[in-house]
Amino acid sequence: MIRRLIVGITAGAIALAPAAVAPSAQAADPVVFTVGMLSDVDSLNPFTGILAESYEMYQLQYSTLMQPSNADFTPAPGLAESWEESADGKTWTYTLRPDLVWSDGTPLTANDVVYTFNRILDGRYEKTNYGNYLRNVTGVSATDDRTVVVTVKAPSPIMERLAVYILPEHVWSAIDGKAVKSFANEPGEGETLVGSGPFLVTERQAGQFIRLVANDTYYGGRPKVDELIFRIYNNPDALAQALKKGEVDFAEGLTADVFSTLEGVEGITTYAGAYSGFNELAFNMGAALSDGTPIGDGNPHIQDLAVRQAISHAIDRQQLVDAVLDGYGTPGSTIIPPLYTTLHVDPATQPYDPALANQILDEAGYAMGPDGIRIGPDGVPMSYRYFVRSDSDTSVKSGEYIKSYLAEIGIEANIKPVTDDALYEIIGRGEFDMFEWGWVVEPDPDYQLSTFTCAKRSYKDGDTIYADLSDSFFCDPEYDALYAAQSEETDQAARAEIVKQMQQIIYDNVAYVITFYYDNLEAYRSDRFTGFLGQPEGSGSLLFQYGTYSYANVAPVGADSADTGGSDGASASPGATDQGSAGGETEPASSGGSSTGLVISLVVAALVIVVLVLVLVRSRRSASVDSRE
Amino acid sequence: MSLLQDAAVGEPDPIRAPRVSGSVLRTVGGKVLRAFITLAFVVVFNFFLFRLLPGDPIGLYTRGRNQDAEQLAELRRALDKPILEQFLTYVRNPFDPGIDSTRFSRPVWEMIGERVWPTLLLLGTAIVLASIIGIWIGIRAGWKPGSRFDKTSTGTTLTLYSMPEFWLGMMLLIVFSVGAFGIPGLFPVGGIVTPGVDTSTPLGWLNVLWHMVLPCTTLTLIYLADYSLVMRASLIDERKQEYLALARAKGLRDVMVRQKHAVPNALLPTITLIFLSLGFVVTGAITVETVFSWPGLGLLTYEALRGPDIPLLQATFLLFSIAVIVANLLAELLYAIIDPRVRS
Repeated sequence: MIRRLIVGITAGAIALAPAAVAPSAQAADPVVFTVGMLSDVDSLNPFTGILAESYEMYQLQYSTLMQPSNADFTPAPGLAESWEESADGKTWTYTLRPDLVWSDGTPLTANDVVYTFNRILDGRYEKTNYGNYLRNVTGVSATDDRTVVVTVKAPSPIMERLAVYILPEHVWSAIDGKAVKSFANEPGEGETLVGSGPFLVTERQAGQFIRLVANDTYYGGRPKVDELIFRIYNNPDALAQALKKGEVDFAEGLTADVFSTLEGVEGITTYAGAYSGFNELAFNMGAALSDGTPIGDGNPHIQDLAVRQAISHAIDRQQLVDAVLDGYGTPGSTIIPPLYTTLHVDPATQPYDPALANQILDEAGYAMGPDGIRIGPDGVPMSYRYFVRSDSDTSVKSGEYIKSYLAEIGIEANIKPVTDDALYEIIGRGEFDMFEWGWVVEPDPDYQLSTFTCAKRSYKDGDTIYADLSDSFFCDPEYDALYAAQSEETDQAARAEIVKQMQQIIYDNVAYVITFYYDNLEAYRSDRFTGFLGQPEGSGSLLFQYGTYSYANVAPVGADSADTGGSDGASASPGATDQGSAGGETEPASSGGSSTGLVISLVVAALVIVVLVLVLVRSRRSASVDSRE
Repeated sequence: MSLLQDAAVGEPDPIRAPRVSGSVLRTVGGKVLRAFITLAFVVVFNFFLFRLLPGDPIGLYTRGRNQDAEQLAELRRALDKPILEQFLTYVRNPFDPGIDSTRFSRPVWEMIGERVWPTLLLLGTAIVLASIIGIWIGIRAGWKPGSRFDKTSTGTTLTLYSMPEFWLGMMLLIVFSVGAFGIPGLFPVGGIVTPGVDTSTPLGWLNVLWHMVLPCTTLTLIYLADYSLVMRASLIDERKQEYLALARAKGLRDVMVRQKHAVPNALLPTITLIFLSLGFVVTGAITVETVFSWPGLGLLTYEALRGPDIPLLQATFLLFSIAVIVANLLAELLYAIIDPRVRS
């Protein structure tokens, strides 16, 4: 009996085999572009999410009025085809592209923009993610279907960089200010979210994948692939294996060691793109609350500019790039990364020079002690607490290097590895001397610059001290004045000049030693897809940009030549023709391939089960024969 | 609860009701009551335990966001209610679907609901497989200790047991998923189902099964030693018992002596072990979930510790505690059925 059942199951599996292959082999296969990433989206609700992965979904799903160009991050048209500042800088007029429609066919008008802006201005919860973009806004109105007029308190350069996702009023008006807090914004079975971006979310399985379909009504034209899938892998090794196997076409955010194993693999292109993040060695420059009340217990030595300058000269940034990042990055200088070519400045006046560092300390009165540790003018040895983040290999590794650099100039760094959470609180209370962390810098520099203003130092709420944005406690009236000036300068060139001066001040005062700008490590199946656009062009990241340039442009290899054959040529080619041309003995790539794998492995599994059961049945039978005896 | 009442109200008519059944009911009732008391204690303890965790969830989640101090203070005030008020809200209904995660702004029980099925499926299957195979190995090895089978199986299971889960998983993944040493890559690298496949169809189930093969094999291989060694040891003890000599003297064949007499008695410790591990089924297996990108509860709990996300932590730990308590209760009750000595 049991045996018959098992045979039935095996037969079933075999019978199902053609069925498994059938759907993918049949006509008009959609072209699917699959991206593997290492973290799930935290929420599809654009008012809730905070992770980069979530923002990637928002910008695919919803368009903004304008977006940073892929050439050099200058503001480029989005939903708005043009915009204009009034002579007094108090009014901005945005003109939408003609004939915009939401994916469900409803016209996208100026009213949707007004609705979204007002929702952020009036809402409590809605302010969280976007409030700062509209900080100066006093009123929003639509003068006709294509014209939005926004009034502001003061001239505001941010009005050219409003990264606010415009939402469809006819959908979101049903979700009130209370319901929005726990609104997941996930599509129901077989539904698609209404949006205006190149792709629309159609399915999400938490912790597994997010599936999007091409938006026929996207203003930039329908994307060249039909489906976009983001799959989540919980470790970079598995992600790399999935790319090799062809389970994904693109691997995002790889680690350096895994990235190098993919170099030179047939059919795969590795790409180390310049990224907008930096890491730094930060100093406690005199922890205080925003009103100037001193807090914390930072060592006064660190407040001496000579000490910080000496440390800056002692650090071999190039070696850090080579050793910690395996070369995938560039040595650091100022707080605006070099990929923002119009804003970045590199003074290059603090080169690696341990001899000079020693000389500076000698002259400043920090004499070398008997045990190789210098003694300060106050008689206290130069021994400091140095916090690194235990969650980050990069942080721990650069910590070790920096410790040894400092030892060479007679400074002892006591490395204290802590979690991000703990370090955040330690910084807020000013209970550190130095630490290692990093920032990701937006195309608009305002936020990053604000982290060095006096007002962003810690604050007190009740009896508890909370961290604000400042983690160096840098405070300089000249810098604050420049900060105020740049935030009202709407001439981009003039603003860039101010921003450069501000970078120079931070650099000269050594509030941070910027150790490096790291690359975003990506790899993709160049035998299957082409058409990626870096931001900035030629050197920047291919995906996870400020914009959706690559997604809108990516196409299957060979699709251009067989343009008329569109969908059917494309669906077959990624798997078949390319691998032929690549001389490929690579894995079968099309979805048909994975179905074959499924069938074979299931048959194998069934056979294993059959054998196991037979063994069991046999031993059972021998037992029952015994009992009959 | 009904069991309890029966025990109290149905106090016997001494002549008709056999005394035994009354005492059984009382035992069962007592055990269930004890389980409830433990659970109540856990609910209270969980609440205060997580309040001891340091951390400023709002600050951590908003670092790097465009928010001013005023907005942050407002968000904090929403969380920072008097401890007694928090406690009363919580105790009134720990399973309230309105409890939202601080980090994900979603109902915690909904989030757990998404993760609990993959976890149960993977760990449940692995434990069942490991216990069946483990017991089988244990019986064969324990009945003839020192035999070649015993030596090989004990050596193998111990080796597997001592392997790091992460390493074994990764090796299986590289060999059977990507393909190496001439073995074709048959299984998927990660996930629970191919995106776009409908899991409500038989084809969808097969797809899930296909994704489950490698993670499940990893866990089974690693858990195997637990069961086989305990079974082997208790069977070896049983072999020396006098009743077995009697059974043999009756003329029973060796296999019969083993299956009918020795094994049922030797099974008890293994059953305890199985139920104990079943209690931990819901906690997930972080390492295997990481290697095979399996969306389980282990990783969700780990995520919740960042911040910390107290409502989510509270809910997951409550679920874990309930699972362990229920499994233990079942083990105790089952004992009473299997082993007559427990009843008296």
